[in-house]
Amino acid sequence: MGFEWKVAFRFLKDGRGQTAFILLGIAVGVAVQVFLGTLISGLQADLINNTVGTSAHIIFSGDNGFSAESRQASADYTFAVEGNFRQTDDTLKDWRPLMDALDNQPEMTAVSPLVQGNGFLLRSGISAPVVFRGIMPDRANELYQLEEGLLEGNLGLEGNQIMLGTDLAEEYQLRLGDNVTFQLPGESRQVFTIAGIFDLGSQSINESWILLDLSRAQRLLGLGDDINRLETQIRDVFAADVLSEELEKQFQGVSIDNWKVQNADLLSALQSQSGSSITIQVFVLLAITLGIASVLAVSVVQKSKQIGILKAMGTSSSSASRIFLIQGGLLGLLGSLLGVLFGFMLTQFFLWGTAQATGRALFPLEFDPVSSAVIVAIATTASVVSALIPARKSAKLNPIDVIRG
Amino acid sequence: MLRLGEGEIVLLETRGITKVYGTVFKTTALGGIDLNFDPGEFASIIGYSGSGKTTLLNILGALDRPTDGSVWFNNVEVTAMNDRELAEFRNRNIGFIFQFHHLLPEFTALENVLIPTWIKTHSSTRQKEERARELLELVGLKERINNKATDLSGGQQQRVAIARSLINEPAIILADEPTGNLDSETTEQVYELMREINARLNTAFIVVTHNDHIAAKSDRIVEMKDGMILKDYLTGERSKDDVWQDVAPKYCRHCYKDSDEVNNQLL
Repeated sequence: MGFEWKVAFRFLKDGRGQTAFILLGIAVGVAVQVFLGTLISGLQADLINNTVGTSAHIIFSGDNGFSAESRQASADYTFAVEGNFRQTDDTLKDWRPLMDALDNQPEMTAVSPLVQGNGFLLRSGISAPVVFRGIMPDRANELYQLEEGLLEGNLGLEGNQIMLGTDLAEEYQLRLGDNVTFQLPGESRQVFTIAGIFDLGSQSINESWILLDLSRAQRLLGLGDDINRLETQIRDVFAADVLSEELEKQFQGVSIDNWKVQNADLLSALQSQSGSSITIQVFVLLAITLGIASVLAVSVVQKSKQIGILKAMGTSSSSASRIFLIQGGLLGLLGSLLGVLFGFMLTQFFLWGTAQATGRALFPLEFDPVSSAVIVAIATTASVVSALIPARKSAKLNPIDVIRG
Repeated sequence: MLRLGEGEIVLLETRGITKVYGTVFKTTALGGIDLNFDPGEFASIIGYSGSGKTTLLNILGALDRPTDGSVWFNNVEVTAMNDRELAEFRNRNIGFIFQFHHLLPEFTALENVLIPTWIKTHSSTRQKEERARELLELVGLKERINNKATDLSGGQQQRVAIARSLINEPAIILADEPTGNLDSETTEQVYELMREINARLNTAFIVVTHNDHIAAKSDRIVEMKDGMILKDYLTGERSKDDVWQDVAPKYCRHCYKDSDEVNNQLL
């Protein structure tokens, strides 16, 4: 251990109460940072997961006729009026090659075709609005985690078999194997058999979705071989906007939408939440830095006799300033390590507390060692920086001013 | 100018050093000092407060720079060094003993003695630690090696400071009123210790003192007044009574208040 380290360490050790207080101050500040960071990233991860965990990230649908090409085509008609274009059908035609192509994209984790139409469930004189969703069960399972959400029955949808949500089943006292009558678009009625009851974690889905086989839905809704949408999930949810831009260049004649556009409000809310979190962290860091700076500034005055003696005995000015930089660094490092420990304990206590109050943890909180290490590194660096002014004072101290007594 | 043992090497030499404080209202603390100090000599600098003793000592010890003139150590010009070189020069060649001992209270007696070696080499070796123990034994503090500096009496602290000034084996030790804060019995012990070291290690001592006994027993007395050398002589060249008459009544501490009374007693 070098000479400056020895002196710095001894100065800190000797200033017991003062050292303990500033360490505690740093620890409390860092604990707040760690706790706040964990809480907010946990909350955001939970929100994002709820939003996009079991829904489509990028959606392909039929070109609705407002694309540049159709604008160009309509210009051929001399009587066409700007803004009044021919609305083409928004179904996806010839979608199988597109699906195959998307299957081969490495970013895609799920590709699922969808046919959708509205109808009503008819039961003892009451009609409840429902949404028919024709799917390929295997592919839809990858996207919606149907198997996990399935409470009763199985995924094999054949003929007139359907799956419906647990809220709908409960409300109308429907059970597995029951035959139910639905009204389809165009006043036609159809009887289906319940082959499965699911809980997909969202009330609106659980009380409205009716899942049936894709080809059956196509026939019932009169779509031929067309579908309404191709729904996909991708590996990195936050890359959805970038990826969909790339896909737009690759695939023409389809309309591509992504969850980030659809959830712009949520994303901007999350962003401003992160912003305020960072603001708080910056100010906590500032408070820590000022605290260390003031403690060390006092310490330089307290230790000016010692510094003077050391300098008289041949300690160079740079060495004398290093003693205080080391003290700052040691305070920052020890304090922030202690703070990470406190923060971790606070997080656990919070989880335990919410579990006590509500029966289960509100959302999963994951302690992130990387961000904690970053906080420790930043706090330590800031502490060294805050020691710069005291260190300069120490360097400038003239030994003959103090050795005479 | 006075030389001990004509033809020997000069250890420390000042050439016309002056020290002027202030820029608008100038105060001259030193008005052109030429002095030579030889290896192994034991010199006292005496004079009233404000006569420039401490200013001279600080410049001799490379703690301060003269306004004009130069300081030479073993034929090297100290006054030409930059601050960093000065610090290293002090660490290697000069030992300091102060009136208020100036040990670091955070460290033990042994550690305080070792501090100059830490500054020198940025580490401490077993040999150095052994040497520090020997020095503490030499100053009679074998039993107090691991005491914190604050747990030692004034005399003990000053002995630790003496051991500390010796650890880097300097050629010269500068002492600014080393016994100024000690009772008469301890003063005698500290003086004897300095003489013993002076004899055994041939370390030169320059002692600024108000203590008449120490001054009278030195090999050489340099008397200052108003920033100039008033007298500079070897005590061996005069009779003891002569030296005592010259030194005693004027500069002993307690004489300040009622020097007439003391003078009367002596007469």
